[in-house]
Amino acid sequence: MTFKDMRRGLGEFWSEFRKVKSGIVGLVLFAFFLILVIFEPLLVPFPEASSRWNDMAYWQDNPSGVPPAWMNAFTDQKRAISVRDENAHITENEITRGRMYEVVYSYDYQYDVAPRDMIFHLVGDGTAQVMLTMTSPDGINVILMRSTTVRLSEGINVRLSLDNDTRDNAFRFGTTHEDRAVSGRLTQQLIRPTDVYFSKAQFGIMNRPEALKGTYTFTAQVFFSSDQSRLDESFYVVAGRVSGFLGTDIRKRDIWSGIVAGTKWALLIGMLTALMAVGIGVIYGVMGAYLGGWKDALMQRIFEIFLSIPILPILIVLSAVFRPSIWILILLMSMFFWTGPVKTVRSIGLQIKEETFIEASKALGASSWRLIFKHMIPLLIPYSFASMALYIPQAIVFEASVSLLGLGDRTIVTWGQILQDAWRSGAVLNSQWWWVVPPGMFVAIMGMTFAFIGFAMDKILHPKLRTR
Amino acid sequence: MYWKYAVRRILNGILSYIIIIFILSALFNTVMEETARTQIEETVRGELMGIQQARQMTAEEIQNYYRERLDFFGKQYMLDRPVFERILFRTWNTLTFRFGRSTSIRSAQGERDVFTIVWEVVPRTVSLFTVAMAINIMIGLWLGIRKARKPGKTLDKSTSIATMIVFGMPAWWLGMMLIMLFSYTLRLFPSGGMVSTPPPTGIHYFLDMLYHMALPLMTLVLIGFWGSAFLTRNIVLSILQEDFIMSARARGLPERKVMYGHTLRTAAPPVVTMALLSLLATVAGSIIFEGIFSWPGLGNLYWVAVSQNDIPVLMGNLSLTVGLYISGLVILDLIYGFLDPRIKVGGRR
Repeated sequence: MTFKDMRRGLGEFWSEFRKVKSGIVGLVLFAFFLILVIFEPLLVPFPEASSRWNDMAYWQDNPSGVPPAWMNAFTDQKRAISVRDENAHITENEITRGRMYEVVYSYDYQYDVAPRDMIFHLVGDGTAQVMLTMTSPDGINVILMRSTTVRLSEGINVRLSLDNDTRDNAFRFGTTHEDRAVSGRLTQQLIRPTDVYFSKAQFGIMNRPEALKGTYTFTAQVFFSSDQSRLDESFYVVAGRVSGFLGTDIRKRDIWSGIVAGTKWALLIGMLTALMAVGIGVIYGVMGAYLGGWKDALMQRIFEIFLSIPILPILIVLSAVFRPSIWILILLMSMFFWTGPVKTVRSIGLQIKEETFIEASKALGASSWRLIFKHMIPLLIPYSFASMALYIPQAIVFEASVSLLGLGDRTIVTWGQILQDAWRSGAVLNSQWWWVVPPGMFVAIMGMTFAFIGFAMDKILHPKLRTR
Repeated sequence: MYWKYAVRRILNGILSYIIIIFILSALFNTVMEETARTQIEETVRGELMGIQQARQMTAEEIQNYYRERLDFFGKQYMLDRPVFERILFRTWNTLTFRFGRSTSIRSAQGERDVFTIVWEVVPRTVSLFTVAMAINIMIGLWLGIRKARKPGKTLDKSTSIATMIVFGMPAWWLGMMLIMLFSYTLRLFPSGGMVSTPPPTGIHYFLDMLYHMALPLMTLVLIGFWGSAFLTRNIVLSILQEDFIMSARARGLPERKVMYGHTLRTAAPPVVTMALLSLLATVAGSIIFEGIFSWPGLGNLYWVAVSQNDIPVLMGNLSLTVGLYISGLVILDLIYGFLDPRIKVGGRR
């Protein structure tokens, strides 16, 4: 089989494949997944999701367990969306000793429900006194933070969170406007500072707040007593009530970023397992057919034993006992999946074995090795690809199942692990559908993709053998 | 002869089981022995506590007693023998269903014998999966025949696409979806368990179990029947093109008779094979979906054993699952042989 033959074969195959509509749909979906993998850094708001999925520090500015941002389109009450704003205006004021910065942030608030939190980040070096004030759209000035000491250093951002660090001021601000009878029953722990700040300063600000829309200006005065200190940059993050394309989970992780990061693992797990399993299966089947006699009989016995192994239970116990990495798991899965194509390959192999060209090359003195790998296996390549496509979904589902039990490789992020976290945290019970539906949906769509491709190939190849 | 075939097939199955159990024993020998050692130490410590309550012992006495008892139990568990012998011993124990004692899980009666724990959940798994299979076959046959009658038409095409859509769908995920919809949103069905607490008595117990079974059953059927319909369609379609069907039609037999008398009779062996195989595939592929519904069967036991890190129960569960799986395969072949006259009358193979 020369390269030219192969190209012609592929051309013929393609012209037939094109006619199967479902196969084309499968290819389109496959392309979609490839795009997700290739352009992952551009498509997700948190490009390091893949490597820092279990690093809580990476996700700390997100709100926890909120629905996707587009849910606003379906509700009357518009909820604040998570954003990150780096357009803070920093000016340095001349003073005699030390350094004095004034940072002005503006936030355009056009929602009915206030964000969960708002976090101001300061990046620089040295010990500083910070004072934070807010000017609401109706001109009221509120002091959020009275000269607080913070220590800035290289590589560590100082986070000033409205929710955590300004409770006392929020409470004071609220009580000045609220009815005594109401505020008397409340404590600092019962209010949400952001709800107070983003509401009209009137009766009911604390128990029935009414949103005040408009542009809020926040000003941070940062004073360093030492001349060597400096403030490099500053930005703020709004942790909204809705967030991102698929919301966040209870540990503040962005689910869309996780799902895209999981795509490459799903593809890798599926394709590598299928490739190895079908490779082993095809070689095994052809060898059996070619060798014949007692060797074939023995190989058949071994094959039958492998057939009577329930794969998932074994995988679960192996994972529970040995805690394998993802690579070992892929290897284990291939070791159990290879039985699939053996029967068909063996029967095809028995046919090919009797062909005249095999006899001819045998007469020419070709070795068995050459006969098997040069003459018999190339003829089985189309069939192998078809059966490979049908093993990919199975491998993905098995990995997801093992992960669902909490036995997955925690150094990576897979769809199964996202689902495991969801199940453990009671996302089903709390109807956090954005955490449960998408990962499973992606598993199902990925399975569907390869089912479409595989069945389309099957339709073309089955069961007649293409001999040259 | 059929019985010869049957005996050979059964012996074959038993041999496979023995070999698999041997491999598993070899594979998990180390971890099993570690668990056995900790269990022995625990027992001896317990004994010591008991003795010390009766009378004071010197430190040396305690030491000696401890070592003696460890040796004694070690001998009992063959821990002092060479590795190969230990593996054989373990294989034999597993084959005779002596799985040892669990580390934390207890059976309904509070026993810690692993076999009791695993055996009491088997009927639950079997009942759930057989009911699901029965429903699957019925829907699959009905739909498959309809599909085969008009191949390539709307019904055939749309259901074939549905088959591919559920092809890679994990059963447990569908289970989560159904729980979210039917238990928490619509509040129609319970979210898990097998019976209410406290369990009702008499006929109500049975009804209550059916009520709890509804959701897991629905999951299995929704995932399963597409595949059975698709395969039935392919089998029936290929038979419909055979000559004897044409001759039956040419003889003027009514279509009903052609379909149910001729086609389905011929299709029976492969259809039964397919149904049983798909049932076994569910056992091998998505048994843990029981955990989602807290259906207290074998699959759920994997969840419990994994979360409590109870190695003996895990191993016992695995051995029994393998045993059930192989029995399923054997039964499948026996039924096939019974349905296929070429095997039944001992025709040459």
